[in-house]
Amino acid sequence: MKKVLLASSILALSAGLSGAAQAEVKLGVILGFTGPIESVTPGMADAAELAMKEVSDSGKLLGGETVVSVRGDSTCVDSAAAQAAAERLITSEGIAAIMGADCSGVTGAIANNVAVPKGIVMVSPSATSPALSTIEDNGYFFRTAPSDARQGQVLSDIAMDRGIKEIAVTYTNNDYGKGLADSFQAAYEAAGGKVSIVVPHEDGKADYSAEVGALAASGSEVLAVFGYVDQGGRGIIQSSLDTGAFGSFLIADGMTAESLLENFGDSIDGTVGTLPGTDSPGAAKFLEVAKSMGVDGDGPFRAESYDAAALILLAMQAAGSTDSAALKDKMLDVANAPGEPIYPGELAKALEIIASGGDVDYVGATAVELIGPGEAAGSYKELLVEGGKYTTVQIR
Amino acid sequence: MPDFVDILNALALMSNFVFVPALSYGAQLALGALGITLVFGILRFANFAHGDQMAFGTMVVVLVTFWLQAMGVSIDPVPTAFLALPIGIAVAILMSLGIDRTVYRFYRKRRVAPVIYVVASVGVMYLLNGLTRFVIGPDDQRFADGARFLINAREFKEMTGLAEGITIKVSQGLTVLISIIVVIALFWFLQKTRMGKAMRAYSDNEDLALLSGINPEKVVAVTWIIAATLATIAGTMYGLDKSFKPFTYFQLILPMFAAAIVGGIGQPVGAIVGGFIVAFSEVMLTYAYKKVALYLTHGGWEPEGLLQILSTEYKFAISFLILVVVLLVRPTGIFRGKVIT
Amino acid sequence: MSLKNRTILSYAAVALLLILTGFLQSWSVTLVMINLCLISAIMALGVNIQWGYAGLFSAGTVGFTAVGGLAGVLISEAPIYEAWGVGGTGLAITVALLVTLVATIFGVMTLMTPGWKRRWVLTGTVLIGYFLIRLFFDEATDAIEKVDPASAGFLGGLGLPILLSWPVGGLLAALVAWGIGKVSLGLRADYLAIATLGIGEIVIAVIKNEDWLSRGVKNVAGLDRPVPREIDLQESPEFISWVERIHSGALEALTGDERAQALRDFVQYDSGIFVKLCFMALFAVVLLILFWLAQRSLNSPWGRMMRAIRDNEVAAEAMGKNVTKRHLQTFILGAAVVGIAGAMLTTLDGQLTPGTYNPLRYTFLIWVMVIVGGSGNNHGSVIGAFLIWFAWVQAEPAGAWFLDLVTSPLAEDNPVRLHLLDSAAHMRPFLMGLVLLLVMRFSPKGILPEPVRVGR
Repeated sequence: MKKVLLASSILALSAGLSGAAQAEVKLGVILGFTGPIESVTPGMADAAELAMKEVSDSGKLLGGETVVSVRGDSTCVDSAAAQAAAERLITSEGIAAIMGADCSGVTGAIANNVAVPKGIVMVSPSATSPALSTIEDNGYFFRTAPSDARQGQVLSDIAMDRGIKEIAVTYTNNDYGKGLADSFQAAYEAAGGKVSIVVPHEDGKADYSAEVGALAASGSEVLAVFGYVDQGGRGIIQSSLDTGAFGSFLIADGMTAESLLENFGDSIDGTVGTLPGTDSPGAAKFLEVAKSMGVDGDGPFRAESYDAAALILLAMQAAGSTDSAALKDKMLDVANAPGEPIYPGELAKALEIIASGGDVDYVGATAVELIGPGEAAGSYKELLVEGGKYTTVQIR
Repeated sequence: MPDFVDILNALALMSNFVFVPALSYGAQLALGALGITLVFGILRFANFAHGDQMAFGTMVVVLVTFWLQAMGVSIDPVPTAFLALPIGIAVAILMSLGIDRTVYRFYRKRRVAPVIYVVASVGVMYLLNGLTRFVIGPDDQRFADGARFLINAREFKEMTGLAEGITIKVSQGLTVLISIIVVIALFWFLQKTRMGKAMRAYSDNEDLALLSGINPEKVVAVTWIIAATLATIAGTMYGLDKSFKPFTYFQLILPMFAAAIVGGIGQPVGAIVGGFIVAFSEVMLTYAYKKVALYLTHGGWEPEGLLQILSTEYKFAISFLILVVVLLVRPTGIFRGKVIT
Repeated sequence: MSLKNRTILSYAAVALLLILTGFLQSWSVTLVMINLCLISAIMALGVNIQWGYAGLFSAGTVGFTAVGGLAGVLISEAPIYEAWGVGGTGLAITVALLVTLVATIFGVMTLMTPGWKRRWVLTGTVLIGYFLIRLFFDEATDAIEKVDPASAGFLGGLGLPILLSWPVGGLLAALVAWGIGKVSLGLRADYLAIATLGIGEIVIAVIKNEDWLSRGVKNVAGLDRPVPREIDLQESPEFISWVERIHSGALEALTGDERAQALRDFVQYDSGIFVKLCFMALFAVVLLILFWLAQRSLNSPWGRMMRAIRDNEVAAEAMGKNVTKRHLQTFILGAAVVGIAGAMLTTLDGQLTPGTYNPLRYTFLIWVMVIVGGSGNNHGSVIGAFLIWFAWVQAEPAGAWFLDLVTSPLAEDNPVRLHLLDSAAHMRPFLMGLVLLLVMRFSPKGILPEPVRVGR
């Protein structure tokens, strides 16, 4: 915001559209509202805006600022359009920080070419590519979804512990799926498991019988599905069940959602999945809070989105300023111990504690712990489907 | 040597993972390709908007189905969507005629090159693409209800005592059944009715047809009516079998185009054959034959690899590979295309 | 109005739009937009060469863009010797086998007379060759992809400056276009469209799935840059002092912390502007060169011949012109221009993301640019590219604003209003379709029609 005013003063202009920006804090929500994951993103945006509403309603952020969400379309795939949107949100709308982006490709493009150069904090809820851990981000880039490398290891441990010695793998053909499949395969084979076949699937394609046919022919009993719950991943599971190819699955965070059970119920009993988080009551509280505000909190990366927005706002409070340069240094402080643990729905309390000089440890819906390169440490819940319900087996 | 049971098991395996899915997928493609080929035969252009026209019609069906479901109307075991289908078709027809009136008729009067129509259809594609998402949103919608299976793998195994099961879903059975009915009806229409004959004449030689007193606007209108009907049926069958998502429907035009051209564009029979060729080659060339080989050699030969000819990444490339080969060897397609006969 | 005045006016209108954006949104947005407009203009020029000059409807533009983008990785990334070590031999054998196979096919084609026998022999050769090649190829690529898959897992590139990838991208695209053209030119117009649409998709599928080549969907990020990086500039003393000098007036009034803070903001803002200007200069130079070449060729005897072929193939053929050969030539030229733009795009993004390449965005949108601008007119392509990219980017905020306005009589929490506001992003394809159809209907020749050339 300051930058816009500054830019305007440089050019001796009054910025017509952004003039009103002073009274409120604007947060950019940059997600792929059109394009291949357009069906996932509205829920993520709603979840992020839930956190903003909670903070606005509390009236405690920086002495009563309201938070306004400004959505931008990352298109998930078109980095040019995504950068243009980010550029517009930052320099014209005057957003203080970005909740986004989603797909690792556009996220990297926005971070490298727009957000970091402009000194704007960016928190991605879903870009899980390990390559993003090493970008030169000057400390401006964070993510609430752990890197694939970690989850692959966890999934491999789960499979080994359950005595699954051989497995077929299918992944959604993008950096998320491929990255996860790679890291899983490496970890699993190192532990002595055998990956019988690896088959990518394209989201949004017409038909998955060829993929399922190939997977079934591998002779493995269990199928690992690294995809999205409302996309190809579900198509694969559906087709596997229909043809009797597989009865139980190993699924990752893009798949582990209530809607999976709504579709398949107890027919996928014995399926094991990972979900970022710990046994903290955060996840349940998030669903509760979301429901009370009329938002469906269940779905891929929604909890992460809520946490991303909440973290930015708490860091603002801690920094006492909406300036990204200041708030980036507070991100780790508010996310990690020590401090009072904060769950979804308790943002008002957190703001109060921070305002009075206290320390908080934001646990949130996914038990966020930010580590060195500004990403989530990656505790995962191991969930088992029993009788059409998820039960938490243990925390990894 | 394999014994009888081994052979049956291999057959069941192939049926379950190759024949049944390819058959229903092929039927869906064939219905779509029929629409494309008809428009091509009469209006003489490749309609890039066909996928989005499918999505639009299906969207109406989905919305009406939701409404019916909410009202508690059901025709179990048949999916409720069948009640909604006529309304969807009607709206899709209105939409198609409206588009023809506002967009294509202008170019028809000026007798522009076919490519101009193609570009205009790209415009329609964008427009419908946005419109569909405006109304129903980009989300995945599931509207299938009623019974799910005709035969289920577990029951089949219990019934026959084989190690391999076969599943046939209601949606798959219905898709094939509806396709057969639609195709028979279409052929009857084209061969026996006055209008159908007029359409064939028009497709064969526009000028001669005009001389013999055929009203071109009427022929075009009927073509759009049929194309919209086919598109909505194809889209609904596809949506029942999988689910409805606007983005997927746009992706469908690639295999449908391939099917139409491979069969011989402008040729209804060709579209159907093309649809099955594309579907079967996609599934068969990417299937891993290891287990089949195991059965057929009675477990005697356990191959190292999976016996997969092509990995699934390139499955849709197959349809285009066939397309290219056909265009090279026999540019008019399997059934010599260009006019409706 | 004469075409010349119309051209000048169009450029003025585009400039005005961009300046307005600068005032109303921000100059940074304007620059981002200009850079993409320049790249789009080059793509549109390429498509215009194919369509406007020769009347070829190719729907494979996205494939050429991707091939050009691939060049960015192949040229600028450092080679990964370990990957070459484990997979190099296998790849070499593969190439040798491939050459042998092609030679065998040519041998069979020349030695045997056409007929069923030859077909069977050919099919057999291809099948045996395919499985033999797969044997070596799969092993080699598996080994390559196992080399540190999280950050490498591919062969790397040549480690040369990325600027080189621009001409190389053009060459690669030309090569691919030669193959495609050989197969599909000579088909009737809309067959060509469908065939190229399919082949374009295949090209992208290869780039997406051949991880050993460019990491596939895992993307290659952090590519070399022909211009300085913003974050380096922000730490460079020369740049800071330069900024200090420029803003000395504004900084004078401030002291201490306030001054440091203001200076930091200035540096941050200006570094972004500076980098964008650098890119803009590079892109503008390329566009000007290509534009000049395109204009020259259009007005040359060659251009005259191409128009003759486009407007009446039969007559041109009767005059002794080799239509198929000329078509192939233009097809390749157009593809090369698109390839250059593809490499430039990868350079600007600093990464290769194969998922980006979507026909709606890189084939059909470019088509809209050419047709709205005026096919056959190079100025038209440039104008079309600027206008359409402008609309593409602004459709989202404009759509949101428009829907807000339309639904404002409804209550804040009216479900219809909320639903429509959520759909604002879908205004984009809708608007594009509408613009395309309206232009085609009411101004079929586009904004700048092809100049009417009178023979002497």
